Amino acid sequence: MLTWGVVAVLAVGVYGQRALGMALINPNRISDRSRQVLAMVPLSILCAVTALQTFSTQGALVVDARVAGLAAAAALSWKRAPMFVVVMVAAAVTAAVRLI
Amino acid sequence: MRQIPDGTSLRTGEAWTIAFTYFTVAITVSLVHSTAGTPTWVIIAATLLVNSATATLAYAAVTAAGGSAAAGVAGGWLTSTRFGVLAAALAPRLWPQRWKRALAAFSAFDPNIALANREDDDRNVRRVYVAMSLWLVLPWWLGASLGAVIGDLVSDPNALGMDAMFPALFIAIIRPQLTTQRARLIAFSGALIALALVEILPGGLPFLFAALPALFALRHNENSGR
Repeated sequence: MLTWGVVAVLAVGVYGQRALGMALINPNRISDRSRQVLAMVPLSILCAVTALQTFSTQGALVVDARVAGLAAAAALSWKRAPMFVVVMVAAAVTAAVRLI
Repeated sequence: MRQIPDGTSLRTGEAWTIAFTYFTVAITVSLVHSTAGTPTWVIIAATLLVNSATATLAYAAVTAAGGSAAAGVAGGWLTSTRFGVLAAALAPRLWPQRWKRALAAFSAFDPNIALANREDDDRNVRRVYVAMSLWLVLPWWLGASLGAVIGDLVSDPNALGMDAMFPALFIAIIRPQLTTQRARLIAFSGALIALALVEILPGGLPFLFAALPALFALRHNENSGR
């Protein structure tokens, strides 16, 4: 259960990390090589988030209905389906597999 | 400012989809907190101020499993460390003024950073970042407030497959970026590292290690001589 105090501490900590990331880098003094690496970081982290939200629950590897939903999402993405279709089909397939 | 900045790769359909997904997921996140006994106003404040579902959910998960409030806060902070790394990754392409970046840091999420990063021109990076932050944060707040108010009307959000919406959205964002062998290598390695470390390291830390494959950007450049 969240309390006002917890919300305040979480808010300060989470914003602090975001602001630190933004402030740490000085755009005027950064090499091209660093730029090239930093440009690929979002892709790398986004894939990690996707993998863990598909195959894990609270720090444990889990294979459940989500895998079917996300497989459908991946297939549709490959066929260049609109983003909205990808998201809705993933939710629908996951729900359908859970129902069975 | 236009809702969809002209001359950028951002499409109206993408903006609406991200808004809809964040709206829906925000409702379910609020429901989780509501069933854990958190008062309505605290849920709304948490959504507005913390601005991270993973952080508040990690807190809820740790405390629901019998952990102390301190352990819950530590869990929440750890899971959100990736936002710091993502913010640092986009920082060189945002405003040179530090205060503007500090302001922008508040809404550093995954999709707005990924979509802003897709732009070639730094000026468009800023425009897409600002526009997408609004497209994302406003439905996020709205959905969270709605979820906190309707309480347990939706008894089981997962029965509706809502837990598959975030990763599906991320797949749709990632897919167009996998055009080169280098990008595919980085994407695959990032996912693999996270899966390998998820049971070993506390929540959030696997994401930090998953950022390392971005270093492949250098190796490939040297090989191709670009």
